[in-house]
Amino acid sequence: MNTFSMYVARESGLHKLHPLTKSLLTLLLLVAGLTLPGNWTGYILVLFIILPLALWGQVFRNFIRIVWGLSLPFILSVVIIQSLFWGKGTPIFEFWILAPKVEGALFAAISVGRIILVMAGFILFAMTTRPDTLMISLKQVGVPSSLAYIIVTTLQIIPRFQSKASTILDAQRSRGLETEGNLFVRSRAVVPIILPLVLGSLVEVEERAIAIEARGFNSKREETSLIEIPDTKTQFIVRRLFFMLMILSIAARIAWQLSN
Amino acid sequence: MMDNIKKEFSTRTLVLIPIAIAINIAIGELVVRLKLPVYLDSIGTVLVGAIAGPWAGALTGALANLIWGLFNPFVAAFFYVAAVIGFIAGLAGKRGAFQNETPRWVSVLVGAVFVFSLTLFVLAFSNASTDDTGFTTYPGMTELFSRYAVIFVVAILIGAAIGYFLLQKGGYAGLWGLITGIVAAIISAPTAAYVFGGVTGSGTDLVVAAFRASGAGILSSVMAQGAVSDPFDKMLSFMVVWLILRSMPARFRAQ
Repeated sequence: MNTFSMYVARESGLHKLHPLTKSLLTLLLLVAGLTLPGNWTGYILVLFIILPLALWGQVFRNFIRIVWGLSLPFILSVVIIQSLFWGKGTPIFEFWILAPKVEGALFAAISVGRIILVMAGFILFAMTTRPDTLMISLKQVGVPSSLAYIIVTTLQIIPRFQSKASTILDAQRSRGLETEGNLFVRSRAVVPIILPLVLGSLVEVEERAIAIEARGFNSKREETSLIEIPDTKTQFIVRRLFFMLMILSIAARIAWQLSN
Repeated sequence: MMDNIKKEFSTRTLVLIPIAIAINIAIGELVVRLKLPVYLDSIGTVLVGAIAGPWAGALTGALANLIWGLFNPFVAAFFYVAAVIGFIAGLAGKRGAFQNETPRWVSVLVGAVFVFSLTLFVLAFSNASTDDTGFTTYPGMTELFSRYAVIFVVAILIGAAIGYFLLQKGGYAGLWGLITGIVAAIISAPTAAYVFGGVTGSGTDLVVAAFRASGAGILSSVMAQGAVSDPFDKMLSFMVVWLILRSMPARFRAQ
């Protein structure tokens, strides 16, 4: 089935890791990168942890391409805005009305590290984790199954809604709805597209509710799963370790903040 | 309170939430295709808040951003903002903001006050001066009013027109949307400033650049950018939901 996901199927060690191990690792990287004192943590984590992991996961090329594509607008924007419009500071050079400041460029460089960290951390996780195995493992640690239902269903119906929206757009166009032209013309197209999309899908709610209740959605019996997710003792200990490291890095930040 | 929360998450709500998230994403992308200067990516979230209640709305918002974040991590960082938007929509729903018709003169008043305060805000910011010690002073109200009297009158007229022609009978829903937008702008600014260096990688960055050029700090520039774009966007979202709920078949509304 067509799902809304970035998963790339590979037979790598990273893919075979338990989904919980990978989600905790992602969380740890984000928390550590954003809380640890020091300005260049983001770059260090991406260079020495995330990139090697991407190599191990055999998704390196795709990974670089996607992260670069997502980060580029932010990088351009932050470098231009924060260096050119920094206000008072030491100018790098002056040309006409342009006078980028050293302090601004430094701030932009620090921000770029954080931006790349957030993008890379999320994307690596999304590329190497199958959404359904993630859900099953979440259920195993006690996340209510209704939450798992919501996430899995969402991932499945998003592509359908995207094509539904296009269908409605085309249908309304063929009835003469203007979707090109000036801002006023284009904004008038919004309501005739949104209303059919939303009302049509609300009708679906009742049918779906009956369907899943008829299949024992509210049953209190313990559920079994078709897919078994392999876990190891080592990974269990590593997850504990990740969790402690996360708390440590937050504690380090608080201590550093207090001493300043 | 736990009982109330449980009641919000009936089977119908659980089925509605994935659909709402898909609506968020589908409409968010549609708006980009139509090249409109708004986001409209929280209509589904507001809808769940309005139909099911604040907690269901909050969950929808958070999940929507986290799931969308699997494709665009930038959105995921603001999951808590989306949760707050859903929560406020739920409160608005409980107060009947999505059912009641508003007299048109109230809508006119809402629109006028909103555009007036926005103008005041922008002018106060762009006329602020920062001295060498980094202390920022804002111009006095009387000075602003006398210097920009014409602009303020025009702003009030535009606001009244927006109220009359756009808000029409959905003034209360629009007002709740405006409030939501202001809250969203304030709480999203710290993340935008700290994690993303104050930029969104899109056209609204020009607003940040303008505020930065006028001497405002990073955090306040981001907040100002949000205050210019968010309230209008959330007002439209709340209005659309109001419109949806009114055009819904009576059979569905009763449930």
